[in-house]
Amino acid sequence: MTFSERLYLPQVIGGMFRTLKHLTKNLFNIKGLPTISYPEVKRVYSERFRGRHILTSREDGTTRCVACYMCSTACPAECITIEAGEDQRTREKFPVRYDIDLLRCVFCGYCVDACPEDAIYMTRDYEMAIDTRARAVVGLRDLVVPPNFPVGPMGWRPYYGAIEKHGTAGGTGIGQPLRTAPYEDDAPPNPDLYRGA
Amino acid sequence: MSTLTKLSAIPYTGPAPTNRNVYTPTEAPAADARGEAILAALNLSALTQERGQDLPTFIVDRAEIINVLRALHDHASLQFTLPLELFAVDYPNREQRFDVVYQLYSLANNERVRLKVRLADGETLATSSGVYQAYDWFEREIFDMFGIRFDGHPNLRRILTHENFQGHALRKDYDPAQRWLLTDAGIATIHPKIAPQFVQEEEDSDFERVTLNLGPSHPATHGTLRIVTTLDGETIVGADCEIGYLHRCFEKMSETHTYQQVIPYTDRLNYCSAIINNVGYCMTVEKMLGVTAPERAQHVRLILSEFYRISDHIICIGTNLVDMGALTNFWWLFQPREEIIALAESCSGARLLPSYLRIGGLAVDVPSDFLANAQRIVNMLPRYIDDVEALVMKNRIFRDRVEGVGVISREDAINFGFTGPCLRATGVPFDVRKSNPYLGYETYDWDVPVAEGGDTFARFLVRFEEMRQSLRILQQAIDRGLPPGPVMVDNPYVALPPKAKVYNEMESLIYHFKLIMHGIQPPVGEAYFQVEGGNGEVGFYIVSDGTKHPYRVRARPPCFPIFEAYSKMITGQTIPDAIAALGSLNIIAGELDR
Repeated sequence: MTFSERLYLPQVIGGMFRTLKHLTKNLFNIKGLPTISYPEVKRVYSERFRGRHILTSREDGTTRCVACYMCSTACPAECITIEAGEDQRTREKFPVRYDIDLLRCVFCGYCVDACPEDAIYMTRDYEMAIDTRARAVVGLRDLVVPPNFPVGPMGWRPYYGAIEKHGTAGGTGIGQPLRTAPYEDDAPPNPDLYRGA
Repeated sequence: MSTLTKLSAIPYTGPAPTNRNVYTPTEAPAADARGEAILAALNLSALTQERGQDLPTFIVDRAEIINVLRALHDHASLQFTLPLELFAVDYPNREQRFDVVYQLYSLANNERVRLKVRLADGETLATSSGVYQAYDWFEREIFDMFGIRFDGHPNLRRILTHENFQGHALRKDYDPAQRWLLTDAGIATIHPKIAPQFVQEEEDSDFERVTLNLGPSHPATHGTLRIVTTLDGETIVGADCEIGYLHRCFEKMSETHTYQQVIPYTDRLNYCSAIINNVGYCMTVEKMLGVTAPERAQHVRLILSEFYRISDHIICIGTNLVDMGALTNFWWLFQPREEIIALAESCSGARLLPSYLRIGGLAVDVPSDFLANAQRIVNMLPRYIDDVEALVMKNRIFRDRVEGVGVISREDAINFGFTGPCLRATGVPFDVRKSNPYLGYETYDWDVPVAEGGDTFARFLVRFEEMRQSLRILQQAIDRGLPPGPVMVDNPYVALPPKAKVYNEMESLIYHFKLIMHGIQPPVGEAYFQVEGGNGEVGFYIVSDGTKHPYRVRARPPCFPIFEAYSKMITGQTIPDAIAALGSLNIIAGELDR
C-alpha cells in the first residue's frame, strides 16, 4: 500500500465520491434505473419461460391429452398424477384425473418435451402464491384451456426443431421495453381463463 | 395449434444402440501404459492393475492401503499430493461387496490415478486421514452412507445424516423411501476440540471459555452451515463444523431416476453456477455413450459456463463484502448478474436453475439474439468489476479486514484437497480448464490467475482476475461466432426427435416413446469426468449397469474439502475474521451436502 492508501481518509473520501457519482447520475436519470416497481411494472420474460402449465384442447372442445403417462414418466419430481378413462362412444383414452402438484414441480419443462400430443404447454405465469398446500395441487379444471386458446404468448412449448423460437434477453429492462401489469398486449395468464373444462 | 409441415421420412443410419455392451474408454490404452509405468516406479506387491479404465487404476490389498497412499504421496517423481476423491460403491451380489475408490492427482505431472480397495461387509479399513487430511471428512461420509468403519479415525461419526438415522443410505438394499425423524433427544451436543496451541493457556487465561454457536440459520453463513466455536475472550481456540442440513440425497435419488432426469438435480448442487454442473454431468454420460455434442452446442456450453463462472464469483465477492459491511458493492455487482441470468432465461426459460443442457447437446437452440446479448453483457461487465475493485481493493478498512485473515498454507491447501480459486490463492496454478481441457478451452488465449499468501485478500485477487480472464475467453468465443448446425446429436437412442417428426412419423414416435419410457442406456462400465466449477473441480463418477437408471452417481463437491479446512483456518482468530474468511471460501451448501 502506498502512503496515501495507508492514511484512511483519501481512500474513504475517494470511495464516497464514487458512490456520490452514482447517486447523482441516478438522480438525474430516474428512467435508467435498473430497479423495477413490481408489481405495478413487470419484467418481460422470454417466450421460453417455464411457468405454470396449461393443457390444450382440440377444436371440438375435448382435451388433447390422451393419458399416455409420458409426462408423468419423464417428470423428475414425480409431481404429475394421471388417471385414464375411456370414452364409451369414440373408444378414445382421455384423462379423468390430471393433477400437478405445483409445490413438488421443479419447472424443468420435461413434461412438455415428453408429450407426443402437443397437449401440455407452460405459460409465462409465475405468480402462483397460495395459502394452503391443498390449493397447490391443480387439476383438469384449472389446467385445461378452451379450444383455439392463443398459445403464441405462452412460455416453454414443444420444440419443433427447425421452427424458430424467439427469445429476448430482457435483463432488468435497461433499453428494453417494459410491460405494465396486467399484461395488456397479449393473452392474460389469468387463472379464470384457464378454466375451460 | 401450430401449422406443421410434413417432413419426409429419413431412415436412421447412425450407430446401433449401445445397451449392455461393455464400456471401453478411448483413454484406456494410454491409461494402461501409464499404469504399468507407475507400477514399475512404485515396485509394491500390494497393487494389481485393472485394465481398460479411463484412468490408471489399481486394486489395492486392504491391509496395504496406507503404505500405498504414502508411497504415492512421497514418491520423488510421481508426487500424487492432491487428494481429489474418496467414495464407495456397493455391489451387494459380490462377495466383497464394497469398492472404496481413491482418486489422486499429481500437480507435478498433471496426471490422475485411481485406487480401489475391495471390502466385505463388516471389514474395516485403516484411516488415511494421516496421509491426506482431506480424507477425514470423506471417510466420515463413507461411514455414514455405507457403514464402512475406518480404524484409527479421529472422529468417526455421521456427517450428512442426523443422529437418529438408522442404516446406511447408499447401500443398495436401503429403501429410498425410508424416512427417519430427528427428535430433540437425538441431538448430540458438539464440543469443539481445543487446538493444541491453546490447551496450555487455559489455566493462565483471565477469561472463561465460552461456546458460541454460528448457524445453521445465520445470515453470514449463506446457507445452512453450523460452526460451533469455543472462544477465549475474542479468540477462537477451537471450532467444529457441522454440515448436512441441506442434504437431499442427490446420489441416492439419481439411482432411482433416469439419466436424463438427473440433470435438474445437478442444477441444485452448486446453484450459483448451475450450468457448469450440467456440463460436467452431461459430458460424463456422453463420454460413456461415446457421443460428442455438436460444435454449436459445445460453443454455447462454453459461453454459458463462463458467464455462470462470472456470476458465481459475483455472488461470492458481493456477499462476502456485505458480511464485512460494504453493502453498495452487492447492489452494483448484482446488476450484471441479473443480465447474465436473463440471458440464461432467454435460452432455457428459467433463471437460476436453467436445466438447459441435455445429454447429447442442448434442450433447444439459442435465440437469434443470443450473441448480441452476450456481447452487450461482456461490454458492460468491466465497468462494474472496475468500480467495485476501485472501491475496496485500496481501501485500508477493507484491507485490514482481509489481509492475513483465514490463511492456509500451500502445503495444507494441497493436503486438504483444495481446488479452484482457493487453491490458486495459495500460488498453485491448477485449473481443470488448462490441465484437462474440455469444450475447446485449449484453443483460447487466457491465463490462470494465481496469488500468493492463501489469505482472504489473495482469494479476492484471484476471483477479480478470474472474472477478467473469463471475459477474455467470452470475447474470443463471441468473435468466433456460433458454428452453424444442430444443437443435438443425431442419435435417436440419445436425443428426442423434433416434435414435427414425432407428430408425423411412426418411426420417430417410437423412438420418442422408447427414449422416454426406457431412457438412455449407457454401456456397462464406469467413468469419471471433471470440469472447472465456480469454486473448484466438479467431477462426476458414474457407474452404469446397462439399465436406464445410473447404478451409482458420485458428484465431487469442491466445497466439501474446503469447508473441512475451515475450522483449522479460523482457529486463533476472531469471530469477525471467521466471517470474512467464510465468505471468501464460497461455500455453497447445496453442493456441500448434496
